Amino acid sequence: MTSNETRETSAPADSAPAAPRWAAALSGLEYKQLVGADGMATLEVAREQLHALLAALKRAGFAQCTLVSAVDHYPKAPRFALTHQLLSLEHNERIRVRCWLREGDEHAPSCADLWPGANWSERECFDMFGIRFDAHPDLRRLLLPQGYDHHPLRKEFPHAGIEPDRLYRQWDKQRRAGWNAEEGATR
Amino acid sequence: MGSLDQSGLRTKSDGGLRPVSDGPMAADASGSGFFATRADWLVNWGRKNSLWPMPLGLSCCGIELMAMIGPKFDLARFGAEAARFTPRQCDLLIVAGTLTWKMATAARTIYDQMPDPKWVIAMGVCSSSGGMYDSYAVVQGIDSIMPVDVYVPGCPPRPDAVIEREAPLAKLVGAGGPERDERGTGKLIFQPNHGIARGVLDKHPHDPKGKLGLGDPLPRKTEIK
Amino acid sequence: MSGAQGGPTLTRQVFEYTPGTRPELDHDDPLHGELLKLNMGPQHPATHGVLRLAVTLDGEQIVDVDPDVGFLHRGKEKSCESLGWHKFFPHTDRLDYVQPLMNNIGYALALEKLGGIEVPPRAKVVRVLLMELSRIMAHLIYIGTLGIDLGAVTIFFYSFRQREELYRIVDAYTGHRMNNTYVRIGGVYADVDDKVAAMIEKFLADFPAALDEIDAMLTRNRIWYDRNRGIGIISKEDAVAMSLTGPTLRGSGVNWDLRRAQPYSGYEEYDFDVPVGSVGDCYDRYLVRMTEMREAAKIAKQALDKLKSVKGDVLIEDRRYVLPPKDLVHSSMEELIFQFKVVTDMRLPRGEAYHGIESSKGELGFFVASDGTSKPLRCHIRAPGLMNIQALPMLAKGRLFSDMVSLIGSMDFVMGEVDR
Repeated sequence: MTSNETRETSAPADSAPAAPRWAAALSGLEYKQLVGADGMATLEVAREQLHALLAALKRAGFAQCTLVSAVDHYPKAPRFALTHQLLSLEHNERIRVRCWLREGDEHAPSCADLWPGANWSERECFDMFGIRFDAHPDLRRLLLPQGYDHHPLRKEFPHAGIEPDRLYRQWDKQRRAGWNAEEGATR
Repeated sequence: MGSLDQSGLRTKSDGGLRPVSDGPMAADASGSGFFATRADWLVNWGRKNSLWPMPLGLSCCGIELMAMIGPKFDLARFGAEAARFTPRQCDLLIVAGTLTWKMATAARTIYDQMPDPKWVIAMGVCSSSGGMYDSYAVVQGIDSIMPVDVYVPGCPPRPDAVIEREAPLAKLVGAGGPERDERGTGKLIFQPNHGIARGVLDKHPHDPKGKLGLGDPLPRKTEIK
Repeated sequence: MSGAQGGPTLTRQVFEYTPGTRPELDHDDPLHGELLKLNMGPQHPATHGVLRLAVTLDGEQIVDVDPDVGFLHRGKEKSCESLGWHKFFPHTDRLDYVQPLMNNIGYALALEKLGGIEVPPRAKVVRVLLMELSRIMAHLIYIGTLGIDLGAVTIFFYSFRQREELYRIVDAYTGHRMNNTYVRIGGVYADVDDKVAAMIEKFLADFPAALDEIDAMLTRNRIWYDRNRGIGIISKEDAVAMSLTGPTLRGSGVNWDLRRAQPYSGYEEYDFDVPVGSVGDCYDRYLVRMTEMREAAKIAKQALDKLKSVKGDVLIEDRRYVLPPKDLVHSSMEELIFQFKVVTDMRLPRGEAYHGIESSKGELGFFVASDGTSKPLRCHIRAPGLMNIQALPMLAKGRLFSDMVSLIGSMDFVMGEVDR
């Protein structure tokens, strides 16, 4: 399933010199533990267990959520790798949590109840990828206008945008009717 | 269109958006008007020495705009000290920074709120042509949404570059307003390298194939009266 | 203010009203009417860029604030995927555009982590020097714009005077005042020569005195104190939970600085203090930033002295990631091919990496993911400004509207990085 991360090594907890401090808090949850290319512990978990895992990590001392983002692996399946990165200030540790989402089924539990700071990061994820967060207090677009139809960071969305786009063309036409008398102008 | 009373003064200003085409102030062959009275000259002298900028500082060029108003490149010595942040009191809109589609409506509203006569400087490459951002969210040049008089390239342009281009604008304002083409957008009034050969990039930005008859975008001899 | 006869005037009567003496005023305050929805921005002198705040006001009291960001969203993360790792460096300049070199270095560090690339020691020292000068630049903008927003217009000119000195230095070194793009994967573009080092030394010698001037004007200024003390108090737990980092976090009393906790680029070898506040209000954050400027000058001085002893290259010679020197490109076939490959087909190994640096606003992090091809898979920029704005509604509720300006200034965000 994780064919993309060939540089990540699987590091079972019992073979490591010392089991990570937080491993005890995660007993009873199913996850896969890897080590990322930057040496950060990466946990892969299914969507059903995601919120429980994050809550357990919070109890284990990860008091700050640094980022919530996603990576689009189009055209590979599963498509989206929803990534949470957590920081523990008292233990000076970082951890990454990854959850795979399939195309057409992009929704995940929200962790805004655990860390209020993740609120806008999740809104941005929704804005850019279209991943909906269940039980999010206020899920609407953050960076793009509210009426925008597309999710730009998806791989099939072109960098230069989709022209003509409904909202822009409407607005543009209104503007041009005002100050440009020529009908066939190229711009 | 501007209308005139009998003394030849412009009574209702059109903001310089169209060349005046009737009466004794009609545009002559060179495209610029002439002064019928000394009062008009006085008004234009006042305008050019007190161009109050409306700084629309959107991004990095906004910081250079602040530096321009700051102590080293003092914009106040040109009379442009009163950088009011309300468009109602300004006559020079300096769009400094990247204009995105989300912000475009607000920028156009600010332009519309400015009373005539008004002039626009597109500071930086982002406002001139979209700059380095050919992305879905960036307006590829503010001349898509408003007429521009002076384009100042740079990312960001040094404050003295902007001042160097504002001086010819001020001179033209003193002469009655810069030349504008039929669409209202200014012709390039400050072309530094007169001797360079014409190439594919010298085509008129609105009319690359010459179909609209918009004329020569690069006047070789720029007359600043 | 007593009237001519010596008794209280009407004004004093109103101010001295005791509840209960006039029942018609107690039951139903006639001044409470509808809530006013006021739009602050996106064009506003005090919003530090294009930020729209939809403020719901009850008279002068703020009931709710809904920040609307995205007016400067330029699609940078998408641009990185189209452009490639190298060509994205100029885009990183324009993220937090008041400290361009800092963003460059953060991005380069993340890429070096992903690629397992070692940076030469002299390059590390130069990077520390540039980062601390950028920190001073950014905090000078903070103090200048906060001053001008709160009415202390003179501070703007004082701080920009110092910024002009820094611009001169950076102009002489990199060729441009702002948005320098001087950092490459594996080091910086060129070395600091003696002339630039002398300029930096002179600046660092004069800077504490300039900072003392600004200090003298503001720190014990009654108006400044009143407008900043007690406003925008964030508790320790709230600050950590809201993902705040940097001076906003340290102002609340949390001793967390990435330069100390997770050092990068040789920061463990420098001697500096990390200022931490106690109350967590705007005034504490102001004091934290002023002290950070002094500490940054200290670190920059140490880095400058270190440059005399640490010799070597400032850029690696790994032809997979770095452009070869131009004279070799023009004369050797191999180097020409390397140049071609670096420009068109530079690859980083597969994997994901994250590197956070302590920028002037907080933890600026770059989460880079590569799938081994020349097209980047993902570059997510973790902007500290985004988290700072997120905390704004929590801080503004219940305060007076004029405190909004103090709050916006003290949270110190730059829309370039918030919107990306």
